[in-house]
Parts: sequence; C-alpha cells; structure tokens
Amino acid sequence: MLKLEDINKTYNIGTVNEAKLFADFNLTIEQGDFISVIGSNGSGKTTMLNIICGSLAIDSGRLLSNGNDISRLKEFQRAKFMGRVYQHPDMGTCPSMTILQNMALADNKGKLFGLTMGVNKKRIDFYREELSRLKLGLEDKLEVKVGSLSGGQRQAMALLMSTMTPLEYLILDEHTAALDPKTSEIIMALTDEIVREKQLTTIMVTHNLRHAAEYGNRLLMMHEGQVIMDKKGQQKTETKVDELLDIFNSISVECGN
Amino acid sequence: MKKQLKKLGLSLCLLASLGLVAGCSNSNNSGNNDQQSNNEGENKTITVGILQFANHPSLDNCREGFIAGLAENGFVEGENLTLKYDNALSDTGNTGLIANQYVSGNVDLICAIATPAAQAAFNAAETKEIPVVYTAISDPIAANLADETGVSGKNVTGTSDQLPLEKQVAMIRELLPEAKTIGILYSTSEDNSISQIEQLKEIVPQYGFTLETVGVNAQADVPMAVDNLLAKVDCINNLTDNTVVSALGIIIEKANEKKIPVFGSEEEQLKSGCVASESIDYVALGKKTGEMAAKVLNGADITTMPYETISDFEEVINETALDLLGITKPESMTSARVVNTETKEDKEAAE
Amino acid sequence: MEAVLSIIIGILEQGFIYGVMALGVYITYRILDFPDLSVDGTFPLGAAVTAMLLTKGTNPYLALLAAIAAGALAGLCTGIIHVKFKVKDLLSGIITMTALYTINLRITGRSNLAFFNENTIFNSGIALWIPQSCRIVVIAILLAIVVKLVMDWYLHTKSGFLLSACGDNKTLVTSLAKDFGKVKIVGLILANALAALSGAILCQQQRFFEISMGTGAIITGLGSVIIGMNIFKHMTFIQGTTAALVGAVVYKGCTALAIALGLPTTDMKLITAVLFLAVLVINSREKGDKRA
Repeated sequence: MLKLEDINKTYNIGTVNEAKLFADFNLTIEQGDFISVIGSNGSGKTTMLNIICGSLAIDSGRLLSNGNDISRLKEFQRAKFMGRVYQHPDMGTCPSMTILQNMALADNKGKLFGLTMGVNKKRIDFYREELSRLKLGLEDKLEVKVGSLSGGQRQAMALLMSTMTPLEYLILDEHTAALDPKTSEIIMALTDEIVREKQLTTIMVTHNLRHAAEYGNRLLMMHEGQVIMDKKGQQKTETKVDELLDIFNSISVECGN
Repeated sequence: MKKQLKKLGLSLCLLASLGLVAGCSNSNNSGNNDQQSNNEGENKTITVGILQFANHPSLDNCREGFIAGLAENGFVEGENLTLKYDNALSDTGNTGLIANQYVSGNVDLICAIATPAAQAAFNAAETKEIPVVYTAISDPIAANLADETGVSGKNVTGTSDQLPLEKQVAMIRELLPEAKTIGILYSTSEDNSISQIEQLKEIVPQYGFTLETVGVNAQADVPMAVDNLLAKVDCINNLTDNTVVSALGIIIEKANEKKIPVFGSEEEQLKSGCVASESIDYVALGKKTGEMAAKVLNGADITTMPYETISDFEEVINETALDLLGITKPESMTSARVVNTETKEDKEAAE
Repeated sequence: MEAVLSIIIGILEQGFIYGVMALGVYITYRILDFPDLSVDGTFPLGAAVTAMLLTKGTNPYLALLAAIAAGALAGLCTGIIHVKFKVKDLLSGIITMTALYTINLRITGRSNLAFFNENTIFNSGIALWIPQSCRIVVIAILLAIVVKLVMDWYLHTKSGFLLSACGDNKTLVTSLAKDFGKVKIVGLILANALAALSGAILCQQQRFFEISMGTGAIITGLGSVIIGMNIFKHMTFIQGTTAALVGAVVYKGCTALAIALGLPTTDMKLITAVLFLAVLVINSREKGDKRA
C-alpha cells in the first residue's frame, strides 16, 4: 500500500514564476490496484509520478509504503522496489548493448554488480522464454544491439526489463504515447498480462482515454493538482470513453481553452 | 567502403608485425654496418642530428655555436657533414620520437640541447652506442648524465651552462655600492633555479647582501609576484629560469617604474632591458660543444671525456638602461661590452 | 630499409605505451561521455611515482602497481569533486590536474629526475630473455595487450555492464537501483589508473621523469580514441578497446611521419588541431546523413 500524505510542491519558489502545484495532496493506493491516471497537461499527473519515484523532491508531506516512510529515500534507493517505464523507449534500455546484455542487466537489479560475468549462461533460456512472450521474435536476436531495434521493440523490452525482478510498484509514465497505434495496443495488452500475472500494484499515466477506461480497476482524473474523479471497481468498469471525454471537455471549457 | 577499410586494417597489422620481425632479425647486422661505414674512411659524409628541446634564444645560440664549432674543426655542412635539426617544442613525447628517428637513421652523433633532450637522446642511443653530446645543461650530475668526476662512462658527454654566480654578485656590488637586498623571481618547477638560489644563499652574505626570493608556478603569476618583490628589494637578479625569462618584459617595465635595476644572466636579457650581466656566451658554449663533438667524430673516446664548462665569462652592460635608472658606470667597467636595449627599430632592422 | 623498420618499431613502442592511456580515455570519453582533463595530471603522476620509487631501488613492476594505485586515487578525487561536490565535469578534471602539478613536484622533489642506472621493466628480469633490439617494443605491446584483455574482461562483468550502461543511459542505472554517481566514480578511477600506468611505462622506457610530460596527454588520448573509432567505424566486430590501441599507434605514427617528413614541429599542434576538426566534422556529417 502506497500512501501520499499532505504533499506540498511549489515550483520556482521565490520567483515571479512561482506556481503551487500540490497543496496538501492526499492519495492512497491499495495493494494490487491498477490505477489509470488521466488529466490535461499541467494537471500534475507526471509530477505525481516523479514525486512517488523520488526524481522530484517535495516541499513537505510524507510518502508511506506499507507504513514505512520513504520520503527521504533517493530515487535509486526507491528503485529497489519500484519499476518505471518511461514515455520514451530510449529511457528503459541500453542502446549500445545487446539484447542479451540488457536482459542480464535487468535480471541483476537489486543485487551486487561485482566482478562475476555479466551474462549468466544458465539464465539465457529463461531470457529467451521471457522475450518470446513479446511475440516480436527478439528471442532469436540475442546478440543484436538494442539501439538497432524499433521504438516498439525497445519499449516492449523496457517493460519486460523493469518487471523482471520482484516489485512492489510499477510506474507507467505514458509508456505507449510515443508508439504507433498498433504497437501501442500490443504493448498495452502485454502490460495488462504482466500486471495480472505478477499482481503488481500499478500506476499508469496515459493520454489515451480508451486505455484508461479499458484497463485497470481504478481511474483517477487530475486537474490543477487535485484528484477530481476517482472511480473504483464496479463504478470504473461502467465508465465509458465518451463520458470521460465529456468531463475532459468541460474542464477545458472552465479553463477557458 | 567496408572492404577497403578491412584491407587497410589488415595491411596495417601486417606491416606492424613485419616490421617487428624484420627489425629484430636485422639488428644483428647493424653492428657490422657501423664498422663498415667507419672503415670506409674520411671522404664519407658524417650525419649529425641536433635535437633541441624548446624554442629559446639562448638555445638557438647554442645551436649556432655548435654548428660553427664543428665547422672550425673540419666538419662543414654541405661538404662532409649532413645536419638534421628538430625542435621538440617542450613535448617529451616528441623528444622521444625524434631521438628514436635519429638512432634509427644511424646518425653518427646526436647533439642534444637542454636537459630532457639529452636524457631522451641518451636513452635512445645507449644500446647502439651512438655518441650524444649535450649542451645547455646546468647540472649534468643531477640530470644523471655524469658522475661526480664529470665523466659518464657511457656514450654521452657535453657542456654545462653553469652561471658564474659569484662574479655576478660581485658585479652587482660594484654597480650598486649602497644596495642591501637582492630579489629573485623563480619558478618552483625549475630545478636549475632552485639549485642556483641555494648557491646564491652562500654567496650573497660575503658581499653584504641579503636575498629575497619569490616563487611562481606559471607565467601568469609573474606580474603579482614582481609587485610583491619590488616592495622589498633594491635590485632584482634574473636567473636562466625559462618561465620568468619569458615574462621579462613585464618585470622590467614594473621595475623601471620604481627605478629598481634588473640584472640579467645572459646577453639576450640585456636586449630586453636588463642593466648588466656577467654572462655566458651561449654561442661560445655551443662552439665548445662543437669542438668536443668533432673530437668524438675523429675517434676520441667519449666515455672518458668529462663534461665541460666555459671559464671565460663576459661582462656586458646596457648603457641605455643605466641612463634610464641614473646609475653611473664605474670605472672598472669601462671595458665591458655594451649591449643596449633593443628598440622596435632595432628589431625591425635586424629582421 | 632497416632505418624505416626501426622507425616503425619506435612508433609501435610509443603507440602501445600511450595506448594504455588511450584505453583509459576510452572509458571516460567514449563509455562515460565525461571529458576528463585530470589525465594531464595523472599521466605524469604515474611517471613521478615510478621515478621516485625506481631511484630508491624498488622493483620496477612494483613501481607500476604503485603508479596504478596513485592514478586510481587521483581519479577518485576527480570523481568525488564532480559527484559529491557537484562541480562540472570539465572543471573537476581541471582542479585535479592543477593540484597534481604540485603533487608531482612534491613526489619527485624536482622537475626532472633521471635514473639511467636503475633497473626498469625494459632492462631487467624477464626483459633479458628478449633480444635487445626489440625488448622495448615487445614488452610495450605485451603490457598493452594484457591491459586490453583485462579491460575486455572487466567490461563483460556485471560491474562493467553497469559502467557501459552509465554512459549509455543513466536513467537505466537509476532504475537498476544503483547510484549513478558511484558508477561514474568507478569509471574515473579506472581511467586515471590506466593513464598513470601509461605514464609509468613511458617513464621507465625513457628513464627520466619531466614535469611537463603530461602536457597535452589528454589530446593524445582523445586523438587516439577518435582516430581508432573512425578507422573501425564500419567494423562492428572490432572491440572499442582494440580501436583505442590501434588509434594510439596511428596517432603516434602520424606524429613520427610529420617529423620524418621534416614538417616543422612548430606547426604540429595546428596540424593536429585541423586534422582533429576534420575527422570530427566528417564524422558528424555522416551521422547526419544517416538520420536524414
């Protein structure tokens, strides 16, 4: 369970551009939740992910993971129990290394990176098996450098790599936004499969309202640093894309766009 | 494109390995070749490589003197002598490469100007026993090129440009009877300067002076160091310190403002405005080196030749600088050779 | 012909000795994307430590190890200045380099220290088994190859993987729950240890230490890596470490050629700079073409 308590975050403190984004923000994410987060640009959804992951410091408030305060942990320390997939496929893989080497890197997460061989030969079959789930034929290209793969292939690998070791939370930061529609469907289906199988507590920020409606058990809509809609379970299942679009439009009108 | 590059790479590797093998197997013959060339006698041209460490007027003078010294002793460029000349521009990597090329080219003798050049040349030439004659080294013993008796026991000897420090101090006393403190600017990274200061510390009390020294790390530190020094001294004495000499212009300008005379360690410094110097004539030093080289080329045993210094130093004096500072020339110095500050016109005329 | 061959041997000697430094620069410049100027100080640092120890009669191989340790320590300093004190990469290198100038002088006690009568790796021990005429080149090549193989091995360990990832994608390093800064420091330690080793080998070869030895070392290192990378650009099967070594040999070959052709050494720096620029421009153009 992840709890955000009284989070305050102001950008550019002390300058003319000072902007308060979060004021006493609260959110509780239950064990096993798969939350889709939607909202307009500047609504604070990516900032929220950055705060959770620790890539952005908060002004005040607390983050509790299963009751433990993690607010003071650095980003790389939180990464031990969090996996994150970024919007840009480049962020999740090492382009100059081979597929096999990338898999081995991810496999070693949380362990010592010492002077033993980088690729454990005994694990290669396991990597092949994992890769074959992507149905992209990557299992036959183990020695190919990741940099020469397409964006979709790399994003699929990034997803696989970030969920390879045991996790508490999976953070998906618009991870299908940079892909073409077809690939984005494949990646989304794969995400769902992995999340179910590993029973990961997942927070997914997306611009795709249909994905938001279709996947997950909880739906958040954010606006100006606040959660303006929070639907769970039955309520969420009944939510239709059109309905979301209407709300979205109404906020935009309020803003005068 | 790919194929071409592959070929290039392969041929490079081949060339390299060929060179290695051939080089190793050929070397046994090289001794014989040398002997042959020696036996062929005197009408064969001699090749001498001159390896100069850095750009510097004094070092250039050494080189000129060396060539003249060789010529005076029967080795004339273009007639029976081929000269190679390379300047390493203060880069020890270059110094090593040049020395290696001379040795590879089987020159008959290497003339090395300044300490690192001599060390690199000796290092490259030792196994092939090509003689190395050096010049412009202040302390050959410290440079590990001679033992306490001045002999190396190996294929290296030469001349040292030790400064006549005592004569210099005596001359300063004569020109400035009232002065109490001599100031010295030196760079902390030059061994020569440090050892010269150690010697001066012994000498100056005998002439009633005290010594004030300021060290610099780089040329850029010189202006501030001069200001600091000028506040405490009656005159400045310049050493052969490369870093300081290269900033001599600013030192003299600041000293002149305060009417404090600056003494030089060689003639070239007077041209920049130093007052007087008990100076080494680097051309003469070079000539002496050339003489020694000629002896070696004529068959003298280099391993038993001690390094030499020149004993005749020359007093030189700058009358324009004396006038500027209002110092009257003592009668004892009327015989001193006059070298005046070079004006712009002089320089242009010289060019 | 013999003269040409022995010139080639001379080039190989210097090329492989400086090649060890190029391997270090390969880590910082190519893998970490960190322009590390401390090399200008660590190269002579290795030489200073070696010269000081050899004049005291230390075993020459032990002196090499000591140089490696000293270089590693200097690399650690650059790393800490950069990572912990958050000083820019270029500046942290300059700070270390400047400090090392004094430290090098302190180590040897003087700006020039020769040891023509001491044992070195080139004239004692196993060196005596090799014919004298190619002793230096054989030992230089052997040392360079050993260093290269160790580095190849290291780059295939888990720690090496992480280092590669560090230059490639630092976000991933964080995602792997590793402190990006620490990995960077490890890279700097390795690179400067190699630069010091290279300086130590050169010092034992030329048998004297000179304070100005390091001036321009980084240029030689960068030049070697860039030349090597460009020669083998289209041959992906050639390892980067091999490219760096070959690059160093080619670089030294070009310098030797320039001297042999009688090009004034005065012009050499300018020629080097122009060549550099040309290689880099051609390189970036080709990249541009690929993208277009």
